[in-house]
Amino acid sequence: MTTIQNADQATIVEELAAVIVANKAFLSEIDGKIGDGDHGINMAKGFGRAAERIHGKDMTLDAAMLVLSDVLMSEIGGSMGPLYGLMFEDMAGALTGREVIDAATFSTMLNAGLEGVRGVGSAEVGDKTLMDTLVPAVAAFDAAQGQGFAAALRAMAAAAETGRDSTIDLVAKIGRASRLGERSRGVLDAGATSCCMILTTLAQSVQRRLA
Amino acid sequence: MAPRPGSKSGDGDTASAMPLRYGDDPLLWAAWLYYEEGLTQGEIAEKMGLSRASVNAYLADARTRGIVNIEIAPDKFRSLSIAQALRDHFGLQDCLVIPTEGGDRSLIARLGAAGAQTLQRFVKSGDTLAVTWGRTVLALAEALDRPGLQDVRVVQATGGTTAKIPWTPEACASRLAEALNARSIPISAPATVSSPEIRAMLMQEPVLAEQLAILAEADRIVMGISSLRPESTIHSSGFLDGGVQHAHYQDAVGSIIGRFINARGESVIGPMHERTIGIDLDALRRIPQRIAVAGGVDKLPAILAALRGGYVNVLVTDVVTGRGILTAEGYKDTPRRSPPPVQAPLTARSHVKKLINAPQDAVDEALKGALLAHEHLIAALPGSPRAIRALEGPRAGKVGIVIGGGAGHEPGFWGYVGRGLADAAAIGNLFASPPPGPILAATQAVDGGAGVLYIYGNFSGDVMNFDMAAELAMAEGIAVRAVVTTDDIASSPVESRAARRGVAGNVFIFKIAGAAADRMLPLEACDALVRRANARTYTMGLALEPGSLPETRRPSFELGPNDIEIGVGVHGEPGVVRQPLAPADDCADLLLDRILAEMAPHEGDRVAVLVNSLGGTPAMELYIILRRVRQRLKSRGIEVHSSLVGPYYTSLDMAGVSLTLLHLDDELAGLLEAPCRSAALVVP
Repeated sequence: MTTIQNADQATIVEELAAVIVANKAFLSEIDGKIGDGDHGINMAKGFGRAAERIHGKDMTLDAAMLVLSDVLMSEIGGSMGPLYGLMFEDMAGALTGREVIDAATFSTMLNAGLEGVRGVGSAEVGDKTLMDTLVPAVAAFDAAQGQGFAAALRAMAAAAETGRDSTIDLVAKIGRASRLGERSRGVLDAGATSCCMILTTLAQSVQRRLA
Repeated sequence: MAPRPGSKSGDGDTASAMPLRYGDDPLLWAAWLYYEEGLTQGEIAEKMGLSRASVNAYLADARTRGIVNIEIAPDKFRSLSIAQALRDHFGLQDCLVIPTEGGDRSLIARLGAAGAQTLQRFVKSGDTLAVTWGRTVLALAEALDRPGLQDVRVVQATGGTTAKIPWTPEACASRLAEALNARSIPISAPATVSSPEIRAMLMQEPVLAEQLAILAEADRIVMGISSLRPESTIHSSGFLDGGVQHAHYQDAVGSIIGRFINARGESVIGPMHERTIGIDLDALRRIPQRIAVAGGVDKLPAILAALRGGYVNVLVTDVVTGRGILTAEGYKDTPRRSPPPVQAPLTARSHVKKLINAPQDAVDEALKGALLAHEHLIAALPGSPRAIRALEGPRAGKVGIVIGGGAGHEPGFWGYVGRGLADAAAIGNLFASPPPGPILAATQAVDGGAGVLYIYGNFSGDVMNFDMAAELAMAEGIAVRAVVTTDDIASSPVESRAARRGVAGNVFIFKIAGAAADRMLPLEACDALVRRANARTYTMGLALEPGSLPETRRPSFELGPNDIEIGVGVHGEPGVVRQPLAPADDCADLLLDRILAEMAPHEGDRVAVLVNSLGGTPAMELYIILRRVRQRLKSRGIEVHSSLVGPYYTSLDMAGVSLTLLHLDDELAGLLEAPCRSAALVVP
């Protein structure tokens, strides 16, 4: 198959939430090296609450993403609340009214999410933020679209991982870690890591439904 | 009390040394001496005139014959540092780590017994308990003894197998059900079938569908973890043959519930996926409690992968495996038995003691307490518990001052809400900006028609959320301006002052803002004064010990036993440079020199001083620092207008101090002297 249905896909968002919740301690640990160590706690709180609210509901993917966005934006705060909140809100907007999601729709969704993040944050690739994961992952998906949906998802996940790992050698230019200068080099960025978890889980979840 | 073997008769003739009530049974006597009298095996051997090996054999025999019944106090084992570290690192509900070496029973049998103890603590009447298969799981089932439960269902997590092994899924489930006096629900199908088509057909069978529906209701699961070595259970039970593994599962490092995972814990999908009947990895993650019992170095990569994948939230393993997992995750083990260092670093503590209830309730419970303590000054807005308003202060025609930020800075921010200070504060989660909701609610509540001024420290999250709230407020016709404070001189060089953090200097800046608004100055004038105050406020801090979050109860960064961190922020983030601890005066000088270098005051200039505790440093040390700062300022010919000393703007329990100087001019001095009344600051 080359498409998935939009209807009854709340479980995709639940799967995202499960991975974030499962990695709560790991994300906080990374964050603690150059940030304040609460990334996993806040992410797990937001994603976990959203998962509770959509669990067992018959929802489209965009409706479930909107629930997640709403929780992140209205209850979590910090920088991740608005960044991921707007990303999922704009992703959901790109899916609204679609019955099926094909590679082209998925690409529209990814690009909308990316623009959502750009709308609130000022980071660029190389600043040691989630953009180092998100930007190349979206580009990789678009570049591999010709090889089919599944292949494009795999390319996206691979690029997300490469992007995440690229933050190890970067010096933070934005956010709390930026005040550390050279001392921020040598560790993963927590936002880039959680973004990679989101994208790779999304890729796997959709791939399974394509199968 | 039992007779105590006479100490004199212990030497010499063994027969006469043996108390009568044990007859001539040396086994009983040895067991008594060991377990009741607490003698070592060596002491018993000497007392009874036996070799240590014999004593050891007697003791083992006493256990197998049921003369001695040992129950591990699980608290003792969970408190081992490895179990604690595993629990913290992987966010486990519980972790039990048993010694790898121990007596004559195999590791599998001992893991099974430990797993049985763990399960006994959790399993409740009415539970649906899923179970996988394998040697360790069967050992657990055989060690389990938990009568008295009602309405427990034990359900196979996968279909069955005809493999010639004693630990098949059917055997494990039925043995476990027997021990729990539970109903046993099989999965009436093979665990693996020959094609996806056959699986699809079978899944439609009502009997199987009903069994799988029960499986989906599981409250907990007990599972083993299999390596992919040729001798592993996953091979011997017929789930995988070598050819299939080679072709499709090269990335897999382990197997749980008959599914395959890679080193990162991600599902490895191969031809067996659609041919396996039973719970899958996603459904597994949805089971609230997932108890894995597994140990042995050969399984280490598989256990690690299962933990990384979040498939396990209760782990029972052995010390060597547990330590291996932590090492693989980059965790540094502190040797327990090596001689203690001359001065043990406080960071070696595995957790920090805190007076909290549930960690996730700490912020709200503290806020409720603050509201009760200062009920004559502040109150939460109805329907918006994280928006705190001054009872006196906001009024028509006055610019509303709204401050805010994350929790953890107590008495920030509610402590600066009151007449002559801020009109309202929005408070976020720990060290995280409040979302736009409470900021907007605060804005609406204090808008007296003259506009609202936001003042908050420069952190990307705060900027985003206050910006969003400002947009929403302006859409409602409320004029909003914002001053983003940047007083922390350590956080960025002077050329990029706008990138600096806003920290304890906020106390002065809030005061200036509150006084300006209280004088009924218009929004533009308030905004300009607050910007000037911000530009003339300089803060620098240093930490002696990191703080710790209630959720983790672990230090938020590592600091050597004799190190201090210079230029720390107020969120437990590390500072800018690290250096050896120096006397208080040297530390005060270090902070003051940097501040004065940038402020460049003239002789006769006036400053206000704040010596602030980051949470863990006592008043005594703050006053030592203040004394030195005043000495230095006097010798420089700088007049001190006023001094604040205390925990004004904290970072939870971080030990350390920040020094703030506000470089006054006449107008700012007048505003600083204006009356105000809040929980943390009163000027009569």
